[in-house]
Order: sequence, then C-alpha cells, then structure tokens
Amino acid sequence: MKNLLPVVFALLLPCQLLAGEAEDHFESRIRPLLKKACFECHQAIRKGGLRLDSRQDMLTGGKSGPVIVPGDPDKSLLFQAVARTHPRLKMPPGEPLQDRQLEDLARWIKSGAPWPESRAEFFQKQIFPVLKKECFSCHDTASRKGGLRADSRQALVAGGKSGPAIVPGDPEKSLLMQAIRYQHAKIKMPPKKQLPQTTIDQFAQWIGNGADWVERPQDSADFVITDEQRQFWSFQPLAHPEPPRVRGLRSANPVDRFIVARLKEQGLVQGRRADPRTLIRRATYDLVGLPPSPGEVNDFLAQWSRDPDAAMAGLVDRLLESRHYGERWGRHWLDLARYADTAGDASDFPIPEAYKYRNYVIDSFNKDKPYDQFIREQLAGDLLPSDNDDQRWEQTIGTGFIAISRRIGVSPQNLGHITIEDTIDNIGKTFLGLTISCARCHDHKFDPIPTSDYYALYGILDSSIYPHVGAEHRPWRSDFVYRIGQEESDKLLKPYREELQVWNDKERAKLEEYRDFQRKKITDPTRTREKAWQEVLAMREERRPHAEAFPDLEIAYAIQEGAPHDASIQLGGSTDRKAQGATVRRGFLQILGGEKLADDAAGSGRRELAGWIANRQNPLTARVMVNRIWHYHFGRGLVTTTSDFGVRGTPPTHPLLLDYLAASFMEKGWSIKQMHRLVMLSQAYQLSGEDNPENSELDPTNQFLWRANRQRLDAEQIRDSILAFSGQLDLTPGGRHPFDHRLTYFYRQHEPFVGNYPTRRRSIYMMQQRIKKNDQLDLFDGSDGNIPLAERKSTTTTLQALFLMNSEFSHQQAAGIAGRMTDLSVDQATRVRWAYELIFARPPTEQEIDRAVAYLEEVGRLQGQDVDWEEQAWAGYLRGMISSNEFLFVD
Amino acid sequence: MKTDRRQMIRSLAGAGLILPGLLSEMMAGERKDPLAPRQPHFPARAKRVIFLFMTGGVSHIDTFDPKPYLDQHHDQAYNKNNYFKGASWKYRRYGESGIEVSDLFPHIGSVIDEICMIRSMKNINGDHFGATIGIHTGSATFNRPSFGSWVSYGLGTENRNLPSFMVISPGLPYGGGQNWGADFLPVLHQGTRIIPGSEPIANMHRRTRSARLQQTELDMLEFFNRQHLEGRETDSSLSARIRSFETAAGMQLAAPEAFDLSGETDQTHRLYGLEPGDTSSFAWQCLVARRLAERDVRFIELVDGDSSVDKNWDAHANLTKYDRLARNVDQPIAALIKDLKARGMLEDTLVVFTTEFGRGPYVQSPGTNGRGHWSRVYSSWLAGAGIKGGMVYGSSDERGDDVAENVVGVHDFQATILHQLGLDHERLTYRHAGRDYRLTDVDGRVVKDILA
Repeated sequence: MKNLLPVVFALLLPCQLLAGEAEDHFESRIRPLLKKACFECHQAIRKGGLRLDSRQDMLTGGKSGPVIVPGDPDKSLLFQAVARTHPRLKMPPGEPLQDRQLEDLARWIKSGAPWPESRAEFFQKQIFPVLKKECFSCHDTASRKGGLRADSRQALVAGGKSGPAIVPGDPEKSLLMQAIRYQHAKIKMPPKKQLPQTTIDQFAQWIGNGADWVERPQDSADFVITDEQRQFWSFQPLAHPEPPRVRGLRSANPVDRFIVARLKEQGLVQGRRADPRTLIRRATYDLVGLPPSPGEVNDFLAQWSRDPDAAMAGLVDRLLESRHYGERWGRHWLDLARYADTAGDASDFPIPEAYKYRNYVIDSFNKDKPYDQFIREQLAGDLLPSDNDDQRWEQTIGTGFIAISRRIGVSPQNLGHITIEDTIDNIGKTFLGLTISCARCHDHKFDPIPTSDYYALYGILDSSIYPHVGAEHRPWRSDFVYRIGQEESDKLLKPYREELQVWNDKERAKLEEYRDFQRKKITDPTRTREKAWQEVLAMREERRPHAEAFPDLEIAYAIQEGAPHDASIQLGGSTDRKAQGATVRRGFLQILGGEKLADDAAGSGRRELAGWIANRQNPLTARVMVNRIWHYHFGRGLVTTTSDFGVRGTPPTHPLLLDYLAASFMEKGWSIKQMHRLVMLSQAYQLSGEDNPENSELDPTNQFLWRANRQRLDAEQIRDSILAFSGQLDLTPGGRHPFDHRLTYFYRQHEPFVGNYPTRRRSIYMMQQRIKKNDQLDLFDGSDGNIPLAERKSTTTTLQALFLMNSEFSHQQAAGIAGRMTDLSVDQATRVRWAYELIFARPPTEQEIDRAVAYLEEVGRLQGQDVDWEEQAWAGYLRGMISSNEFLFVD
Repeated sequence: MKTDRRQMIRSLAGAGLILPGLLSEMMAGERKDPLAPRQPHFPARAKRVIFLFMTGGVSHIDTFDPKPYLDQHHDQAYNKNNYFKGASWKYRRYGESGIEVSDLFPHIGSVIDEICMIRSMKNINGDHFGATIGIHTGSATFNRPSFGSWVSYGLGTENRNLPSFMVISPGLPYGGGQNWGADFLPVLHQGTRIIPGSEPIANMHRRTRSARLQQTELDMLEFFNRQHLEGRETDSSLSARIRSFETAAGMQLAAPEAFDLSGETDQTHRLYGLEPGDTSSFAWQCLVARRLAERDVRFIELVDGDSSVDKNWDAHANLTKYDRLARNVDQPIAALIKDLKARGMLEDTLVVFTTEFGRGPYVQSPGTNGRGHWSRVYSSWLAGAGIKGGMVYGSSDERGDDVAENVVGVHDFQATILHQLGLDHERLTYRHAGRDYRLTDVDGRVVKDILA
C-alpha cells in the first residue's frame, strides 16, 4: 500500500510551482534532501557512474541513463528509484524516503527541475576555472610570484608582497579587482590579455558576496586529457629520424652524426679522441665495474697500435662476453628494482630466496635477453609459454620484480594497498618513466594520469598473490611458489605442515601467556614476565627441529595468479569502504592507449599489462630504456630525469638521437648489448675529458657532449677494485646468504633482523638489508633497497675522506697490496711501476718514481727503528693511491 | 671563518702555491659547496636544535599530563573491556608557572619555567615503526629524508670540522637508520651516528703511528692529486675531493676534542650527574650535545634507548621500569637546559623533547602494570630559542584519551621547529621524482601561540 502512495501523489498533485516559489522550494527542500540522501554515493564517488550534484549531471545520468525528465516525475528514473516503483533500483538503500519528501521531489521535477545556482556552484562554474587557468601557473605553492598564492581563499586574503589580494565583501578595496580591471598603477593581471568584462563582473560579484570558496568534489570522470597534454613530447610516436648529414665527419656511426650536428648548431667543437689507456679503463669500469688488469691494458695497447677502431670493437666484445658484465649492469637494474634481501617491514624479515631474482637479473643481462622479454618475465613470467621446465622456472623467478615490493609495519599482510602502491610506483618509474603512484589519492597534478588509471592497474596487481615472508604479527610464511607446483608441494608438505602447526600453536599459546601481562594483573608471585618470555624462547627452540626437518624444495619469492577482479577507486587514497568510488575495469594508462582487459579475459591481467608495456607502439618503453643505457655510459641521460619523462621531467637534449636509438633498439630485437656497441663505438663515447675554454663558455655543463664527462667510481666499483688490487676479491658468483632456516623467524620490531655476513665476493653479492644499510657502500652513495634509484649521486664528503684515511678496510687492503708489491721485487722503481700499472693503469713518470723514493726515505727517517717500517711505508703509499682522484675518477 | 678561508686561498694564490685555474674554482666552490652556510628564509631565533628522542612511547599520563579523572576512577570499568588506569606517579607543581610534572621528572620540573609543554600532540601512526619514522621524516610509510637532513640541507653548517647533523644513538631505535637517513637528499646531509665509546665517529682516529707520519702520507696523496689535476684544473669535483681531505684532517683533530670531557669541571660533571669516564649514560650524551652545540653542529639528536623493550619506554606490562628510564634522562636533560642557559646559548638553541606516542588511559583488567600505544594524544615539549617558557599549550580531554584543544600534529610540530630556524616549511622543498617534496608533506601549521 505504502508503495503505491507516491505514484498517486505524482499523478494527482501536479500543482506546479510558481516562478519565485521554485527557487525557495529547491533551496529549502530539495537541495538538503539530495545532500542528505544521495551525495554520499553520488557525488565524487559517482556510484553507478552517476553524480547528482548538478542539474546537468542528472540530465546526463549514469549507467542506466538520464535520471530526470523535467516535467515528468513518473518517467524520471530518480523518482522511480526513490518511490521504489523501479523494478531494480531502490534508493536510497535502507530506509525509504518519507511521503512528504517524495511529494517535494515530484513537485520539483514537475516544475521542470529548476536548479538555482548556489554561491558554491557559482564559484565552481564561473570563478574557479578562471583562477585555475589564468592564475595558478604563477601563483601556486610551487611558484608564488610576488609572494602570492591564488589557490585558496585564505591565501588570497593573506595576499603577497603588495598586500591582501581580496577583501571579502568589498570588491572595490580588493587589489585583485584593480589588477584584473587593469586599473592598478603597476599590477595588471593576467599580464598578457585582459579578461572579458563579464568575467570581471563575475569576480566582483563573487568577492562582493563574501568570496566563498568551495571546490567541486573531484572525481576521475571529471578528468579529461587535454590536447596540450596529448601533444607532450614523450607521448608522441617515435620519429624514426634519419641521421643528419654532417660534412667532414669521419665517423660512420649514426650516433656521431646526431651529436656532431647538434654541436655545430650550438657553435661547439668536438674534442679529441681519448688515449687508449683512458679508453680501456673507461670501458672496463663501464661494462664490468672492475679495473683492467695490466695485462689487458698491454694487449689493448698492442692492438690499438695496429688499428684503433678494431681494437676498440674487440675490447667492447670481450667485455660484453665477460660474466662480470651482468654483475655490473644487473646492479643498475637492481637499483631500479630497489632490490633487497629483506622485506622492509618493521622487523625486516629476511627473504632467503630473494637472491634468485638477483641472479636472474645478472644472468638476463649476460644472456642479452631481449628487453621486451625481460619486461614480460618480470611482470608475468609465470604466465608466459616456455620450452622447458628450466625456462618456466626462470621466468617465474623473474616476477620477483613484483614480489620484492616494500612491506611496511608490523602487519604488512594487512597493508596490501601500500605494497601494491610500491609496485605501481616502480612499474611506472622504471618501465615508463612516469610517476603513476601520485594518482592513488588524486588525479596526477602534472601528468595526464587520473585516479581511475591507477585503480585500473591496481586491480591487476590486487588479482595477483604476493608471497608473505612473515612479519611480527604473522611470522608464518605463505604463498611462496614451489617449483614442483602447488598441488604437488601441498601433498608432499602436508604432514610436515601439520606437525609444525602443532608447534606453531604451542608457540602462540606461550606468547599469549606472556602477553597476558599486558592484559591483566598476574597475582601469582612466582610468575614473572621475564619467566614467561623465557618460556616463549624455550618453546621456539623446541619447535626449531620440526621446522628444520622440512624438505628443501625449490622455492621462489614470486607472484601467482589470484582471484581476478576489478578494483574500486578509493577516494583520497583512503582505505575506508565508505570512500569507495566507481569500480574501474582493469586496464592500462589512458594516455598510452587505455586498453582494457577483454570481457572474457581469464587471469589477473598481468600478462596483458606486460604486453602493453613491452609494445613497440608504446612511445615510452624503448625511449626510457635507451636513455638509461645512455645515462650509465655518459653519467647523464639525454633526458636527465631518467625515471621521469613526464611534465616535471626535463626534455631531451637530443630528441632526434633519442628517437633514433629507441627505434634502433627495437629493430635490433631489443638487444641491450647491441646498444652498448652502437654507443661505445661512437666518437662521442671515446672523447677525451679535456676542457676547451671556448666550449666551456657556451656549454659549461657539457650537455651537448663535446668532451667526456669525468665520473667518480661508485660504491661497488671502489670496494671491488680495492679488493681486486689486494688480490682478495673472490670472483665467484654469490648464492644464498647464510640466513637462519626460513621457518624459524620470530623477529619483532623490538628485536628486528640485523644480519652481517662478511664476504669477499663482489659487492652485488653482499646481503642488502632494508632498515639498515651497509655502512661502507652507503658512505659512497650506494644503492638503497627502499626506493627505486635511477641515478646514483656522487657526493664528496669528509666522512669518505676519513674512511679512506683511517678505516680498517683501507688499512688492511693497502697492507694487502703492499704485501703483493714487496713480494714482487726488491727494486723500488719496479714496485712503483707495478703499483701505477695496477691502480692507475699507466706507468709512472721518472718524477713520480723519484717522489716515491723520497717519500720512502722520509718515512724511513721517521720510522726506521721499526722492524716492519718499509712494509708500513708502502701501505701508506698505496693508501694514498687508493684515496687519490686518479683512482677514484674515470676520465 | 669564511673570510679566513678566502684570505688563505688568496695568500696561497699570491705565493704561487695554487694553480691559477684552480683559484676561481676554489672561490666559487664556497658557493657551490652544499654544506656551506645558507641564509634562512627569514631571521631565525634558533641557530641549532638539540632533539631529545625518547624511544618506545612515553606515557603522557604518567609524566607531563595529570589526569585527576583517571586517578579518581582508577580500576573502575570504562566499558565492557576497559578499565581506567590512573597515573602511577604523583604530580606536583613547579616553578613560577606552577605547571604540574610527575615525580618521574623532578629535575625537568625544576626548569619548567623554560619549557613550553605541549599536551596536545598527535602522531600519524600508532605503531612504533610508523610513528618513529613519522616524527623523524614526516612519513609513516615510505622513506623520506630525516628532519635533521632537511635542516642541514636548508641551512648548511658553520663548522666544516664536524658533520652538520649528528645523532648520538647507542642503540637503534625503531626504523633504525631510516630515522636519520638523507633518502633522496644528498648523502652529506645524512645524520652521522655517534656511538658512545672510544670512537664516536667512525674512522675519526688516526690509524697511522704518528701525526707526522700521517702528514707525510697526506703529502704523498697531495702529490698524486696534484699530478692528476694537471690539465684537469677546471673540474670542481676533483678539487672538492682534495679539499675533503683537508676537512677530514680538521675533523680528525676537532672530533676527538669535541668528545673529550677531561676539560669539563667537576661541577659540570655533577650538574649532569656524570661520573668521570662514564660514556654509557644519557648524561654523557647530554654533555656531549652541549659541546657539539658550542661547536655549531646544526642538528644534534640524542636517542635514549633502542628497540628492545627493556631499554625503552614501551610499557605494555612493565611500567615500573619508568623509574629507571626517567632517572637516566631527567637530571641530564635539566642540566643541559641550565648549562645552555648559563652560557647564554639557550637563546639560540632549541631543545626539543619528544617521543613517538603516548600511552593509553585504559587497561583490559584492573591492576595491569602497563599501558598500550596511544598516538591520539600525547605530550612533548620545547625550550629555548624564542619559545615561551612556563607555558602549557593545548590539552587532552579529561581522560587523556584524545586532544581536547589545539591539536599539534607531527607536521605542525615540525613546521614550528623549522620556523624557529628561520625556515618556512612550505618553501623548504627538494625536487625529486617530478615533485617538490617537503618535510611536512602537504600539511603543517606553525604554532604561533607558543612563540615569544
């Protein structure tokens, strides 16, 4: 019966409102009703694609079409839904509206649904867009010209250097009015063109009415990619440029044609080719991260004397074939993947299997795995076809790229959205050079990435299962990937798991007894908290053998498919269910094509995502990677912000060259080694570092590459080289770190995991922890397992100098080199020659030998009474060498 | 200091000891040096900060925020699962201001008229890890540069013989080195960790047998570098590294001197409650902090404990340890304030006392000897450098459950401290990954009411 009533109202009480009444009726009855009953879901959250906060939004409607037909309540979906006459839609969910409210609504629609503009709406429609378009670019937080920000009412009232910009209620006293009317003696805004008179009048009206500032709640559907954004350079297809013709250029390398053409445009002169000693040192450090041995240097010099170009080509080939190439270039990639051997949660649980991904990266570089395949494996290796089980397993390990994402806090398993944010951030920066994760909480402020794009990607990752390595509040591992497969491993491990479960329960029970001290007063005087804790520890020891009895199956820290589902936008990044917005179909960034998963797509969408990124038509993927390669070779990318190709990044210094390299990269099958050859065999790479005052005047930072950039050795190169000099470096590849058994971790934030596993292997094989860094590598700007690191910094600090002067490492290693030196010969000149060849890759001059002898004599005078003074003296001498600029920099 | 250096460079150049190309670079280097002193945004009240960080979450209810309501309702049921728990220590009034402080901190009570007590702190996270890195970096989740790193970046340092940002931390607090990491700021703004003992700064002691011998070695290094510099004179990074060995030699002399307390009088030792030769107590940290402050270290942080529950203020079930923990810090902190004041340094040294969060007013059953984490409201205090003393700012509600008025969030707290250093927290930005990052994220308000 009740349901019928409204219909009767609508039919029988058409009484149309009179002109003046309509506005009052809307403001007093309808607006408050909509606000109370509808806006929670149908404003910014736009449930069902519908907003109800303007007449236009109601006319546009949502998924089910327009919701009002002005003049006809019965045909209006809105009315049908609230009157509960619609077969499916019943709104608002829960309590139906009261009859009186239905009557009000019917009457409003009947009268044509008039919607008088509120002050807030007036501001949103007439004022805010003008402020945004005309004022924000110079007057926002970033650039507050004249000390003024124009992006809030408060800021306008506070004003800038010339005083308050507005006086609410008084347009005539408002500086802003004088400025936009061009009446102010000095300030005329906007500077280029005066606003139309109607707009100026609207500003006066706005200020006169008190300058209310209520922004329209934003949602992703409001986001429109503008033409200007679409035309941004990095989103354009590759230009496929022909290398320019340059008269008199000897080099046949296309890279040089681009570089020299640009130099000529700028009036710069290309420098000389570097000498062969410089080149072998440069190329060797660059490709394998180690110093060239004196033997290698001599061979190279001999080849150079016959044919420099052939010698150089042979050198590059030899280095690319070296196993150590992957250890150097894999390190670059691990920086980007923010690789670490621990999870990063509050207790920093170890991930004993993480090293498999590390070694996978090294092997991939050594094999010259095509970059598109490398991308696919890291995002969806588990879903790719494979020829054999080894390949399948290798590809599965590749998804460690996703698995290694940061975990946070004491219960990271409950903060999946944070881990996924970290993954999306990394995918965006590393593969695409875009800061996508900005769009988690709001549409990207600079780049055309709406929140809906973020959640389109989010759905893909949320449909995948990340392994849980354990954390304080859930120390048990789960969701690791077994080589023999889930079913098989479950079957095999079942009895062990059941047995361990018993012990896990006992352990938790003991822990609860300990935690009882937090919950109640313990009256038994013999029962102390310390005792309870000791019992917990004892129980863990009792449990240990049952954990260690587990069969050692092959396990990977990798990703698996979960239940596929689309994700909803979370407004403002909140995790609150109430803040849930529209559900977004899983898909790719709109600016890069905006593909969506097909309706019948079965999996998470990772495989499709990998395909969208590793796509020849994607304008960013190849550009970003060749730019990275360039960056590592030259110390600076053609785009200097190598992980930001967005609006806030820097444009390329050589756009055509960048496109040429990107196109060539793909044509050559995405071969990274081919890129090395192309770049390293150019004149540009082989220049000397010599200064040229005229060039310096025009291009002081050498952005057009008229000379080589001198680069400081990075943290790993310094450590590995010094160990190599002393003969201590262990060149065998590293494997698993000596962590405790994987099933015995009970780290808490109070007793976090802290590991220290000294090794003489190359630095890439050192255990890298997240909440604690390696002091020595960190001192020289080493990698950071927490944030994707695209460009190593190269700082010079006093503490570095102190390290070289006084550390145990530098003293021990120098003594080690001295031992090798003094064993070699008793002749001082021979010793000095050996040290120069070893550390500086060149022979000493006579003057340098003399200086060494003089030094030795002086130390002898000071220390001659000590038995081992000579060995000490040489150690001091060698410490000087490994502290010197000639060692620490590569020309 | 600066003029001396310039004069020295000029005189060396005059004597032909510096290559001509190097001269302009060295003079220019004074500006390019990222640690060179920088002008603040506006005149500063504080030249430096001493940041006292109490690890584990100090209960506000038992220390600086008396709650008679809880005392009256002690052990009575609040709701089905919770009982009120009153303070375990008595409060008394101190100083002219009559601000109440519990019996855990009689010495801090004695300097209360220098202190602005904030009883309305609020952190962004309720776990140790998130809250600790929150107050240090402004972010409770992903890594960001530390407070001290921002200050070092913003202001540089006037004493190149010591690091600009030093953290005396015998153990690792929750979040470990992330609390003083420079993250995306250049690593030279990273906090240098001082570990009490024989070598507070790693590698600060000469390892060669004599100073003379070391000088001979450094002369050798100088020769290597000079040879190498030939033809490379215009590269400022080379000369910067040469200079770093000069400053390292300076630090090698200055650092041991800074940590050498043998020149401090018995009276000073007594003031701090420090036994001569003891380096393990917080008293040692406080006295060293004063010495570092005298030497113009920009940001000095003292961490009192580590992440193990025995050594910090995390007291779920063992509140009794507060007697011991408070005894370790109370007298030295009061002594630090008195000492700074006596030396006229409290004028431009901002002393900050804080922790990651407070502890809750309720327990699950009567008689429980502890309290849970409580980030909704807690207490911290500031003293010196233009902060109003003898003042209470903000308050918690009668149960100490939430902020009653004048909330001070971590970003507000940070913004206020930066303000005293002459830095506008909205303008102290660093461009990283396409965005201008701030310590205070997109938040923060300077609490002007507490500024003198």
